[in-house]
Amino acid sequence: MPVRIGNKKLFWLPTLFLVAVLVAPTAQAQDDVTVSVSLDRTSIGLDEQALLQVEVSGSSQDLPKPHIPSLPAFEIYSQGRSSNISIVNGVVSSSVTYRYLVIPRKPGEFPIDQIAVVHNNKRYKGNVVTLKVLSRGSSAPDDLNERAVDTEGESRDYFLEAVVDNKNPFVNEQVTLTLKFYIAVQYYGSLELTEPTTTGFWNEVLGNKAPYYQRINNRRYKVIERKYALFPTQTGELTIGRATIRATVAGKRKRSRDPFGAFGFDDFFGRGVEARTSSRSLRVNVRPIPQENRPSDFTGTIGRFNISAKANKRQVELNQPITLTIKISGTGNIKSVAEPALPELDEFRIYRASSAEEVSQQNDKLGGAKLFEEVFIPRVPGDLEIPGLSFNYFDPAQERFRTVTTQPIRIRVTAPEGYSSDSPVPYLPPGMTIDSRAHDIRHIKADLGKMQPVGRLPLLTVGFLSFNAVPILALVGSIMIRRRREKLAADTGLARARGAAKIARKRMAQARALARVETRGEFYAEIYRALTSYIADKLNTSPHGLTTTSIRQILNQRSTPEGLTDAVTGIITACDYARFAPASLLQSDIDQTLKDSEEVIIRMEEVKFG
Amino acid sequence: MAKPLVIWLPVILLAAILVAPPASAQSDEFAMANKFYEDKDFGSAIRLYHSILDRGKESATLHFNLANAYFKSGDLGHAILYYTRAQRLAPADEDIAFNLDFAKQFSRVQMEGVQLNPIRTFFETLVRPYQLQQLGWITSVLLFILLGALTVRISLGHGTSWLRIITAVSLVILVAVGSLTTFKYRHDFLTPRAVIISEESPVYTGASEQSEIELNGAPGLVVEILSESDGFLNVLFENKRRGWIKTDLVARI
Repeated sequence: MPVRIGNKKLFWLPTLFLVAVLVAPTAQAQDDVTVSVSLDRTSIGLDEQALLQVEVSGSSQDLPKPHIPSLPAFEIYSQGRSSNISIVNGVVSSSVTYRYLVIPRKPGEFPIDQIAVVHNNKRYKGNVVTLKVLSRGSSAPDDLNERAVDTEGESRDYFLEAVVDNKNPFVNEQVTLTLKFYIAVQYYGSLELTEPTTTGFWNEVLGNKAPYYQRINNRRYKVIERKYALFPTQTGELTIGRATIRATVAGKRKRSRDPFGAFGFDDFFGRGVEARTSSRSLRVNVRPIPQENRPSDFTGTIGRFNISAKANKRQVELNQPITLTIKISGTGNIKSVAEPALPELDEFRIYRASSAEEVSQQNDKLGGAKLFEEVFIPRVPGDLEIPGLSFNYFDPAQERFRTVTTQPIRIRVTAPEGYSSDSPVPYLPPGMTIDSRAHDIRHIKADLGKMQPVGRLPLLTVGFLSFNAVPILALVGSIMIRRRREKLAADTGLARARGAAKIARKRMAQARALARVETRGEFYAEIYRALTSYIADKLNTSPHGLTTTSIRQILNQRSTPEGLTDAVTGIITACDYARFAPASLLQSDIDQTLKDSEEVIIRMEEVKFG
Repeated sequence: MAKPLVIWLPVILLAAILVAPPASAQSDEFAMANKFYEDKDFGSAIRLYHSILDRGKESATLHFNLANAYFKSGDLGHAILYYTRAQRLAPADEDIAFNLDFAKQFSRVQMEGVQLNPIRTFFETLVRPYQLQQLGWITSVLLFILLGALTVRISLGHGTSWLRIITAVSLVILVAVGSLTTFKYRHDFLTPRAVIISEESPVYTGASEQSEIELNGAPGLVVEILSESDGFLNVLFENKRRGWIKTDLVARI
């Protein structure tokens, strides 16, 4: 039904309203912007300067620049800005810090207020800070004036001072240690710092501050600061050790006598000397956290914290996960913040998913946020409630325990089609392949299966190793055979010597076939050839030149087994005899010669001819 | 001297056979453990399964049934430990994979921020269904073919075209399968892993209980062991967070 005003149909009115709702920034985003104003010092001399820092932070990435009001008591100059964006568990937060130099125009105590930013048509005002400007021209306290003078009453060119902001902290409460290096002369190169020992503290370096100038005993010192956040881990008296700085500084000032010194010629000609100065050690008396009114579930967290909880969905189907993000933020040792206790809820299965922390510092105080993600799986359909979660901490400023609690969160759980009240499947993390209808593990098996020694490396078996050894050995063998062939082909003498026994055996086989009376001539001729060829092959010579005498000579020259020479020459002589008087030889002579010849061939293998 | 050995050898073998428990005894014990399981006496079933394991023999089924008994008795850490051991012996077994995934759901802590290395995941997916033995034998057969072809080429003194093809193809496949085998061996046997078995398992930033707690572990979380020192293990979680945990709070896979 269209809305009518006068005669016009306002079809567009609902659409415009919807667009306006979608485009307009959420209340959440508006509420996120905070402005924090701080000074590096609360008291300065009239001829000194202070550093004003304005930190604008929020969930928006387009944070506005602060408006600095006109302050009649000061001149203010911009010193630049630095920004920081962090993403913790998908939550984006950013902050921009603007720095200003504050130079006083007159003495007095002046509040600096009305520093503000305008974001989404809303004004966010920063906190008020007060700066005291001393008329006497020096803000240095008396003990600092004394420290700037040595034992002979002369002004020190440099010295190192250590101060803590709280000498009587509670255990786990932050103590800020500041090292201040005062130097009134030129120095060269970088400073070399030996950090102080902080036994009994958990410490975190807060960083170096921008140098500034301070007048002490009418002398202008450059002050370089380094700060530490110390968290005592035990009670009682603890000592912060001495820190030491080494630097190369200009020689002792003689401006009054040396007219050139005033123009910096001392420095120009590099009269640098090694300088070393140490701070004094400090004692801190650490108090225990009181027992009185201590909550039973107190986990030792100390500082000042807030807690909030946010569910990623307010309506889910049964057995589907809801991620609850619990954020504990504030100042204090954020790393020691423990997870808030979760109540036992029959309607939910609860799984701890993850935790993350973001450490930050504000006005030299360490703090930040710790985020815990819990996965809630509804077991039953209906309107369920995640109750408020409480977190206890000890507030050292108020010296009392405090409890902060989240708002309860209502969740509507719908039942899926075919819902059965006995579905036991819990949360399914990504990547798992469980069938959503699964109710239980699969059953045990009846067959014991193949047993093997416990912890045995599966491939270290004889069969596997042998199988792999065979082709390797075959390859090595073929390579060796190939090389041998090539070697023999290139050296005929060697080839003949290597093949001598084989040829001799062949001849002996032929002789065995002829070992009859009818063929005794051929038999003895074959025996003769076998022996002479064997020796000729071994020596790589012609067998035709070999006689009984030469064979005896050859064998005698070598380490021949006893009787072998006679045996060889005896057989050859018998062969010669058989050729000329074959008729006198019987079968028994033939057999004896064959037997002797075979033995001789075997024995000659022992002779080294080469 | 050889004679006495020849005489005693059958005696030694016979004695060895008699002293070693026969396979049927193991099967009877296994069947009895299964009976305890069926009767929901999971404690007795666990004891009997362990008595078989204590004799130095294992099988995928034995680990699987033992894991089931642990799961049913509510000991999630040991259940995941023995499912993982079973899966190493029988990686293609669907029942083991199913029960392991099912059991992992019950871990109190689900690792967040797990960033998987795509190359490693690819290799893991490739080798997951295979046992190391299978991959090892395939590699060996390919090596056999490659070296056989090379042996023939060397023996012949020249290479024919089919010999060249066989050599090239077998070399390429051998390099691929050999890489997978090496990956599987490294993944399953060289990289020491453990499962958290204790309900309370703080993980510290250093190897002492005085160190700060990095995170709280939970039974069933699988960790990679990086080093060991003074009763503590330096462990790496799936999401690359690391810390020190007492040795007796975990069991090595």
